[in-house]
Amino acid sequence: MNGFLSYVNGSSPLHKLHPLTKMVMSFALCASCFLSGNHVLILCVIGLNLCLFASAGGIARAVSTLLSFVKFSAVLFVLQLFFIKDGTPIFTLPLGITLTYEGVMFSLLFVLRFLASTMPLALMLSVTPVGDISNVLVRNLRVPYRYAFVITTAARFIPLFSEEMSGIMEAQTARGVEFDTRNFIKKIRLLIPLCVPLLISSVRRIENSAISAELRGFNLRTRLSGYKRYSFGANDATILIACAALVAVSASGIWP
Amino acid sequence: MIRITGLSFQYGGGEKNALSDIDLEINNGDFLGIIGSSGAGKSTLTYAMNGLAPHHFRGDFRGEVTVNGLDTRQNQPEELARHVGSVFQDIDSQMLASVVEDEILFGLENFGIPHDEIERRMNDALESTGISELRSRTVASLSGGQKQKAAIAAIVALRPSIMVLDEPTGELDPQSSRMVFEILKKLNEEHGVTIVLVEQKIMLLCEFARRLAVMDGGKLILCGPVKDVLDSADRLEDAGVNIPRVATLARRLRERELYHGDIPLDIGRAKIMVEGILSDAAL
Repeated sequence: MNGFLSYVNGSSPLHKLHPLTKMVMSFALCASCFLSGNHVLILCVIGLNLCLFASAGGIARAVSTLLSFVKFSAVLFVLQLFFIKDGTPIFTLPLGITLTYEGVMFSLLFVLRFLASTMPLALMLSVTPVGDISNVLVRNLRVPYRYAFVITTAARFIPLFSEEMSGIMEAQTARGVEFDTRNFIKKIRLLIPLCVPLLISSVRRIENSAISAELRGFNLRTRLSGYKRYSFGANDATILIACAALVAVSASGIWP
Repeated sequence: MIRITGLSFQYGGGEKNALSDIDLEINNGDFLGIIGSSGAGKSTLTYAMNGLAPHHFRGDFRGEVTVNGLDTRQNQPEELARHVGSVFQDIDSQMLASVVEDEILFGLENFGIPHDEIERRMNDALESTGISELRSRTVASLSGGQKQKAAIAAIVALRPSIMVLDEPTGELDPQSSRMVFEILKKLNEEHGVTIVLVEQKIMLLCEFARRLAVMDGGKLILCGPVKDVLDSADRLEDAGVNIPRVATLARRLRERELYHGDIPLDIGRAKIMVEGILSDAAL
């Protein structure tokens, strides 16, 4: 099971970066999308994300993740389009709905930002073990371990819950529930009742994890307990400079 | 050593006792198997041993449980965990890291094991559970059996003198289950770790455990060497416990006065028993 948001083993240069560099890189890629209102720049950021995924050996996963968000993005795009009425009209639909140039551009920007900002987190988690993230949060950023553990465990549990949901859906499909319907609304209505068994099994899993952590001394941990040491190298410096440049370009409006 | 005296426990909000008047002593180096039908109180008994009852699972706790002399009511589970390592049935929930190495590190770091000792402990744990080659693998890429071995390695690295395992092979196939039992046997025989193992796979349990404890309705109805417990077949059946076929065969042969020896605990010894009877008949 190597799904969205789970770590993928590897020895690429990205894997070898300091975890803090990877977190900064992820944040910078995200921030650049929101600092700039330029469609081309955001498309470039999406392209950069894909290149980084490819360098870490995860291009197939990146593309499938991106494609899985495209349907949702299309719905967002259409919804957004109908809510913006100001600007230069392009054409008018029945019931007095007018599509404007500004509306189209803003909706496109909204969707591109959504796509571009979801990828850096997936990229960081695919090249960084959650243990490294919590170690860095605790040691370098002075986040209390309890909170760092919650953040990293949440990231680790998302693929597990996704797998659990697939299992419940398969069990229901075997009983004749049509989850393969093309009707999006019907599919959503079929999925809602499954939230209850998913919630119950998730709570049970979290309870078991809490017990397991407690019995392995979770409450005894201190800031200096971490065994692994991470060092900054030339690659880290290069990436950090590139991130600073990207954020500066996005924020400065050089590329409006 | 675990000493349980007059233990009764009722979960908060529960209507009846999950455990009633349990008296049990588990000596150092023992390999005790606990069997019983669902709801017999097996898991609750393990919670009493590792301190989860009454600290995590609140309720009416009566009697006394001591682990290496420590009263479980007076000591928190993480303190008791220095003596008792716990492994559970739900494999994915007990894995807290994304890489095997980090999974083993988790407990070592938390318990403040000196950093110059961590590497040695980690290597020993990986070797004794036979998963050295999995050290850098992601947990998600492991099979169920490999995950359970990693979970055991994470506990072994803490070097507890007692390990309490609650149906660790519940989600595993027969081959992986046997591998887990072999690891426990090795830990018990070579490292002197006391093993307390709740299991439904009675055939494997009879083959590996030295003593069996049988639970029914929250009570400990039988406890003793495996052969002695299997001799009380009627009581086992009343408790809803499946008796190994080889034991049933031996009992039937005894009833017909064809066999007078010990109850065989595995297929190999059952074969010897049958061959002995056939050769006697041929004479």
